[in-house]
Amino acid sequence: MTDNVIEIKNITKKFGDFTAVKGISFSIKEGEIFGLLGPNGAGKTTTLNMVLGLLHPTTGKILIDGLDNTEYPEKVKNLIGFMTQETVVDSTLTGRQNLEIAARLYHVPEKEVQKRIRSSLEEANLTGFADRQAGTYSGGMQRRLNLVKSMIHEPRILILDEPTTGLDVQSRLSMWNHIKNLNKAGVTIILTTQYLEEADSLCDRIAIIDHGEVKAIGTASELKKIVSSGNILDITTKVSNAEEVQKLLKSKFHLESEVKNDRVIATVDGKPIEMLVKIGKALEDQKIEVLAISMHLPTMDDVFIKLTGESMRDSASNEMPDRMISAGMAGRR
Amino acid sequence: MGLLADSMTIFKREMIIFRANLRTNIIRSIMFPIILIAVFGNLGASIRGVPIAVANYANNQQSVQFINSLVADGSISLQYTTNQQQGVTLLKDGQVVGLVVILPTFPQSSNGNPPVDVYYSSVQLSEVGVLLSKVQTTASSFGASYEKIQQGSTSPSGPSGVIPGSAGSLTVKSNSAYGTGGNYTTFLVGSIIFMTVGFGGVFGSGMSFITDRQLGNIKAFLVSPINKRAIVLGKLFSGTVQSVIYGILSLIIGLAFGAKIIMGFVGLIWILLFILAIGLAFTGLSLFLASRMSKVDVFAIVSQFIVMPLWFLSGAFFPANDFPFALRIISYVDPLTYVTNGVRAVMLTTYFPFSQIMLDFGVAIAFIIVALIASFVLFKDTLD
Repeated sequence: MTDNVIEIKNITKKFGDFTAVKGISFSIKEGEIFGLLGPNGAGKTTTLNMVLGLLHPTTGKILIDGLDNTEYPEKVKNLIGFMTQETVVDSTLTGRQNLEIAARLYHVPEKEVQKRIRSSLEEANLTGFADRQAGTYSGGMQRRLNLVKSMIHEPRILILDEPTTGLDVQSRLSMWNHIKNLNKAGVTIILTTQYLEEADSLCDRIAIIDHGEVKAIGTASELKKIVSSGNILDITTKVSNAEEVQKLLKSKFHLESEVKNDRVIATVDGKPIEMLVKIGKALEDQKIEVLAISMHLPTMDDVFIKLTGESMRDSASNEMPDRMISAGMAGRR
Repeated sequence: MGLLADSMTIFKREMIIFRANLRTNIIRSIMFPIILIAVFGNLGASIRGVPIAVANYANNQQSVQFINSLVADGSISLQYTTNQQQGVTLLKDGQVVGLVVILPTFPQSSNGNPPVDVYYSSVQLSEVGVLLSKVQTTASSFGASYEKIQQGSTSPSGPSGVIPGSAGSLTVKSNSAYGTGGNYTTFLVGSIIFMTVGFGGVFGSGMSFITDRQLGNIKAFLVSPINKRAIVLGKLFSGTVQSVIYGILSLIIGLAFGAKIIMGFVGLIWILLFILAIGLAFTGLSLFLASRMSKVDVFAIVSQFIVMPLWFLSGAFFPANDFPFALRIISYVDPLTYVTNGVRAVMLTTYFPFSQIMLDFGVAIAFIIVALIASFVLFKDTLD
């Protein structure tokens, strides 16, 4: 039990009549990267806020390093670093002043302060800009400053709420490297993300949350097994043709499939390429118009759709460009 | 210990932000006082036709001349010639502002008592000032001395049966008269200081509190292990310091435009104390408002809506005593009335009106306590 740095025990949170979190329990091991996935409004942020002590659970307990976080808020808060989705730096303060205030907020010992500021600036690659106002920094620089600022007290746990949302490709990759390096140095990391591939490639374990409940928890490959052990056949057609496709798959190939609007999804065991060719031929013979057809191993997308009944795409429609670049990564798995 | 150290961290941050925007802050805060003092202070406002009653027991040539020169320039208007008993009744009824009693020995003193007594109402600050300075200058030109007797005070020559503090039904305050050398600019500066301090306090910390919440800084403070009360306390300190700076600046502007602190150094200390008190109270008030508001524009309107009337009703441009009855009632519950009055007392008089200043300062302290309790109680240290 000692290696569980965070234990969440059956917490619920009610806002008036609305129950945002319905009895969530899970624990996070020391030294892992833990991902929290879920559509908007699933209860991710509420759960994080409870871990951070910003909200008190209606029922249940959160133990951080064995301490109840509502009973020992100050001790617990010193163990946790937190970076929000929005970049929070004081734009009128210089980078150095930002770090200094952060160090004092976290009661960093007086003789350590200057040393920590220096190493943080180096880590964020901001030494040359230390005495400029943070408002003059670029978005990526501000983000890096934000990250080292939330690490100034050298916490054992780092909570990142959508750390890469809105970053360009380079900044995202460097953020990923940062996170991995911190993790190697022994920091336990919890992150929420809208990018399934991010969770897939970064996280040791993932919990999928929807409607205030944990739908599944495990490593990425464990979660993928929930969907299927075989391959996923994904046919995109017209909405009017979807049922015809489903019938064809059932009658000719004995495949059970699911229809989601214009998409027909089925699980295929056995030889995927052979099947794909056969199905393609059958569809052509029947003169059913097909827009796209693919055969692939389960991705986090499939897991997500299976468990939450909705696509991340729907819940995070503003993230389209980012999904393009990461599609390749998801496919490789 | 921890609370104070944490508060200083927040304070330090606020002051860095204040310094970074120093020029804007200063310009914004001094523009209004400069315009008001320069324009209104030089309007040459004066009071004319102060109604008085005269009881002339001397009835000699000099006394008639004295009365004539008293009313010669129109600043004082003689309404009744009567005896002392009836004069006091008129004074009590509010029909006159003052009663000038000329004793039989005029212009010589009688048994060491001055030959002229002036009875005045304690609720007509500005008009009494005009009356007293007029009587003083006229009497001295006749080689006579005079004695001020506030209506209701016990005096050797005062008639019996005058109940202390009964000049009207509303005698919350006892106003002292203007000393010599006071002018309208001084009168105006006494209130403009508090407008600057009030706005400085309200906008300094309340506004920054709301923007901090919008930008996520408050959340960042809340997840840190500092004592949560330190957030309020730090902002309170910084807001107070800022508004005191603004207050001092507007005092300096006022003095540059010809205002005077007649009491001198002691008066200056009192003014600073009043500025500090009101800065603290208004900063508390603004944090209390900001703790329940999420939009900057709503906050700006609401605080404008609170500070402006409070300031006008404190008798900013002319004495609150001259307000119509309903407004006067409001001015009596307006803490700014008292502090303005207190500052005017030290700026306009030469003697130390101890009981009055104690009342005025007491009201300021009560205001601080209410505002601070409200801001601390309503501040939430969680998000629910």
